[in-house]
Amino acid sequence: MSKKGEGRSLGQYALLRIAQALPLIIAIIIINFLLINLAPGDPVTALIGEFPVPQEYVEEMRANFGLDQNIAVRLVRYLGNVLRGDLGFSFNYRVPVLDLVLNRLGRTIILMISAITFASIVGISLGVAAAKWRNSFIDNFAVAFATIGYSIPVFWSGQILILIFAIWLGWLPSGGLQSIRGDYFGWALIVDRARHMILPMLALSLRYMALTTRLTRSSLLETLNSDFILAAKSRGVKSRGILWNHGLRNAAMPIITVVGFHFTFMVAGSALVETVFGWPGIGRLLYTSITARDFPVLLGILLVVSVAVILVTLITDLLYAFVDPRVTYD
Amino acid sequence: MKKFKFGTIFVLALVFVVAFGLSPVRAESPSEGGDLVVALGEDPEHLNPALTTGYPVAAATANVYSALTWRSEDGEAQPDLAKSWDVSDDYLEYTFYLQEDVRWHDGEAFTSADVKFSMEELLANYHGRFQDVAERIADIETPDDYTVVITLEEPYAPFLSSMTVFDAPILPRHLLEDVDDYGDADITTSPVGTGPFQFVEWERGDRIVLERYDDYHGQVAYMDRLYYNILPDTASRTAALETGEVDYIMGHYFPRADIPRFRENPDIEVWQGIRIPALWFAFVNHEHPELGDPLVRQALMHATDRDLIIELSQEGLGNYKIGPMGASFEFVDFPETNYENLYPYNPDRARELLDEAGVDSLDIEIIVDPAREDLMQAAEIMQDNFRQIDVNLSIDTQEREVMIENVYEKRNYDLSMQSFTSGGDPASGYHRLYTTQDFGTPFVSATGYSKEEVDELLSEAASTPDVEERKAVYEEALNIIAQDVPILALYEEESVDVNNAKLRGLRESLDVRDKLNKIWWSE
Repeated sequence: MSKKGEGRSLGQYALLRIAQALPLIIAIIIINFLLINLAPGDPVTALIGEFPVPQEYVEEMRANFGLDQNIAVRLVRYLGNVLRGDLGFSFNYRVPVLDLVLNRLGRTIILMISAITFASIVGISLGVAAAKWRNSFIDNFAVAFATIGYSIPVFWSGQILILIFAIWLGWLPSGGLQSIRGDYFGWALIVDRARHMILPMLALSLRYMALTTRLTRSSLLETLNSDFILAAKSRGVKSRGILWNHGLRNAAMPIITVVGFHFTFMVAGSALVETVFGWPGIGRLLYTSITARDFPVLLGILLVVSVAVILVTLITDLLYAFVDPRVTYD
Repeated sequence: MKKFKFGTIFVLALVFVVAFGLSPVRAESPSEGGDLVVALGEDPEHLNPALTTGYPVAAATANVYSALTWRSEDGEAQPDLAKSWDVSDDYLEYTFYLQEDVRWHDGEAFTSADVKFSMEELLANYHGRFQDVAERIADIETPDDYTVVITLEEPYAPFLSSMTVFDAPILPRHLLEDVDDYGDADITTSPVGTGPFQFVEWERGDRIVLERYDDYHGQVAYMDRLYYNILPDTASRTAALETGEVDYIMGHYFPRADIPRFRENPDIEVWQGIRIPALWFAFVNHEHPELGDPLVRQALMHATDRDLIIELSQEGLGNYKIGPMGASFEFVDFPETNYENLYPYNPDRARELLDEAGVDSLDIEIIVDPAREDLMQAAEIMQDNFRQIDVNLSIDTQEREVMIENVYEKRNYDLSMQSFTSGGDPASGYHRLYTTQDFGTPFVSATGYSKEEVDELLSEAASTPDVEERKAVYEEALNIIAQDVPILALYEEESVDVNNAKLRGLRESLDVRDKLNKIWWSE
């Protein structure tokens, strides 16, 4: 333990945060479990098909899934299994939940990271340009783009992108994970999958690009009007140095907060994008699991996503200190 | 004279040249090779067609598994795993002679033991569409490896047509007999069948890949590979067909509103027709004090503009001049039981009937699954129609699972929009709408309607194989039902399929999901 007045080290701080997160995660599991199990809808009816079946079959399935047990018994058993790293077995897909969720999460993360990177690069550049050449054409464009881009719902922009790039121009595939007919391996498969990722990535990033543009612009404008910038100018620091070293670095805090924040919201946005583009990621799995009442998968996704959000928040906090030396881990 | 003769020869020669020159275009012959991509709107739950009657599972496995028979376009049972069969004069004993050279995709020989095992252990216990047959089976015998004798307790009219891969798929005994829980068996996720295509892989949420099975006992598939592309968004499926990423979308999976757009596209073929009739209707809860009165139900039929519903919600594709069991099966279609003759759209008459029943005004709710756009639109039109006769209909949207719980399991509803397939015979799919049903069973009548006479007549109709005799029994039953109006039957749907215009050999089977081995690419 560190003495009062000395900041904790980065590692200590991270450990402390993780320890604080544990009770939170357990609370999340319990609340999700109760919410999901108490919601109307029976997972078994989703599985039998469209014709009546013998009652014994329904009872057998219910017993196999453990649904014939008391909810408290099921909750305790589930918590025990989760602590042992067993997230259960999907009612719907007949595979272990953890495999299913991790496989899908990987694809969503690839999509999200490329979308966030793309949105951040374009958004920050556009925002810096707008702040630098204030009231110019580029500034007006950035403001208009930020307003429009932020207002367009993702399922609509997705359809428009498909219409333009897949149907009219025929440049890119309309959806899916990879070319269904192609038997690609190695490098060719990567290229093929990357081509399939462009449109969903654009659709997913549009909103965040707009938000980042607006935020960078306003945050930077505020910083550039500060006294220390005036002081730097009076010391004769070059304008490029002022913009990047003094301005952007000081304007970065809100941007990092929002980028970290995006990540959590993107999980929700990805459900729509993944549905529109047939991208088999976690958002779509969440959607199908809700309609099928696949309780174990639903709980698994919520758990994994909660953990991911906690981790990203932690990383964001750690980044603050990297950007701003005034931040200490007390 | 000579000159004329020469001219004649010249013309004849020209005719020959043109005729021979054109003939390859007129009579295309099937060519091997290429891949077929079929769109699916949702991931199947698993790939075991014996454990569910869900649409996507059957779609993805109909070409991996086979059954004793398949049904051609005209509905007739055709030889499949059974190369022929004998039926006893009393329709109680069916002897199936099996194909002798059939091997499962893993190389094991297929025998009569597989048939017996599948029917007794799997289908009778787990398959919704096999239940009516299972109830009547007295005994299944296998005198040798290639003969199956099925004895029934009473005749069952649609018996042979209930032996298809959708009603009675045959699964490999050697892979299942030692398994405790069939749901966890390996073949539940990686199927091993006797069908024209064998399973390669299933990338959940994205695609299912099948490839040609070269030792198939019937017409070996033309296509090298068959892909099911899982595309959950309707607009994306339409786009994928337009870009050529998908070749075939079955009617279940695209909105009717897209039909005009497809018709304009020369690269896309639109097919429409009634194959397996299906009925669109509203369940009525007879326990409701007013709705329990047949006069009120007749009034609601008079108040519903069924023609407009088809026009607006189905792009005009459907038939509302139907009786309680539709009008597509000739033997259940009678003028005196046709709702269009009995209860044509007539709000004034509807109001009179309500007055007769002593109902001044009525506040009722209709439960609709919001994912079913056609049902939502129909409910909205009914809401508007009913307003004219002082019946206030409010629409209560409930997601499918919740709807099932409230309508079937709790019967906590007034009206509920539904559609049921006939399954290829009224006895398979439509009887369940009118027979007495236990409280709480999904996918049967949820109305509470119960009439012993109707139960007996329908049971008799199901066990009368002779069509004329069967028709007479139906006439009697439907006359009672048409007066009682247990449900608000709206229309029989007309199916629409869209596919790449270069595909040939589609829809040879009654159920379009089946026999994709017969499809080939022209050019």
